[in-house]
Amino acid sequence: MEEKTNEKKLDLFRLGVVVFVILAVLTIGEYFIGVIAVGWTWPLWGIAILKATLIVRDYMHLPRLFSQAEEDPS
Amino acid sequence: MTTHVDARSDYQYKTGTNRLGLWLFILSDAFVFGGLLVSRFYLLGRTRPDLSQLLGLIVTAILLLSSFFMNRAETAIRFGDRKGFLNGTLLTIVLGILFLIGVVGVEWQMAPFSAGENAMASIFYTMTGFHAFHVLTGVILLVIVYRKGRKGMYSAERHWAVEAAAIYWHFVDVVWVFFYPALYLMGRVAG
Repeated sequence: MEEKTNEKKLDLFRLGVVVFVILAVLTIGEYFIGVIAVGWTWPLWGIAILKATLIVRDYMHLPRLFSQAEEDPS
Repeated sequence: MTTHVDARSDYQYKTGTNRLGLWLFILSDAFVFGGLLVSRFYLLGRTRPDLSQLLGLIVTAILLLSSFFMNRAETAIRFGDRKGFLNGTLLTIVLGILFLIGVVGVEWQMAPFSAGENAMASIFYTMTGFHAFHVLTGVILLVIVYRKGRKGMYSAERHWAVEAAAIYWHFVDVVWVFFYPALYLMGRVAG
């Protein structure tokens, strides 16, 4: 049981790292778009929406709002 | 046993209700930030202030990193890992303070205009100031959560305050996700 809980915790930690890496790559991407391709507004909006979606879904856990029962980590 | 189960399901019910309330607050707050974003494009159009893009990238990276550690802290307490929770929260607080220093302490001093100079200055200080105020309140909230956490007030079963502080903190990050390109990257530098 404890092993399963630890595994779930590690999975969530891993998800946090993956989301952070994606956010970091997107941020660097938008920085270069802003610096090099001046006037490219729509790709910057696209990146911002993608980043916000990731944060709202995986860091703010929006799906929990719609779940019937509180998640039990054990 | 029955009392324990009742108390637990009562707490779960309250958490569900609290969560809904918090999201409603966040939605209403998002409209204010949305209004500021619309104002920026109405007032400045396809131009942007002449700001340090490197500094913008640095403060953005700091805020993203803080969100990462806040997520880690919240995950840790969900599984009863008190040490991981405290470390993650403390790092988030430090990074939040660094962000404030970067924006208010450095960027505001470097900005090529003063607050009441023109529409560009006005919208720049309003957007960054309103956001910085949210960061400050988030930091205060996290300090309270950290202090209570040190006293052992949160557990795997009961940690709504941690979740609420984390959601609020990530919301502040989401706002910056839109403010950063709008102020630093979109459009040409106003000449």
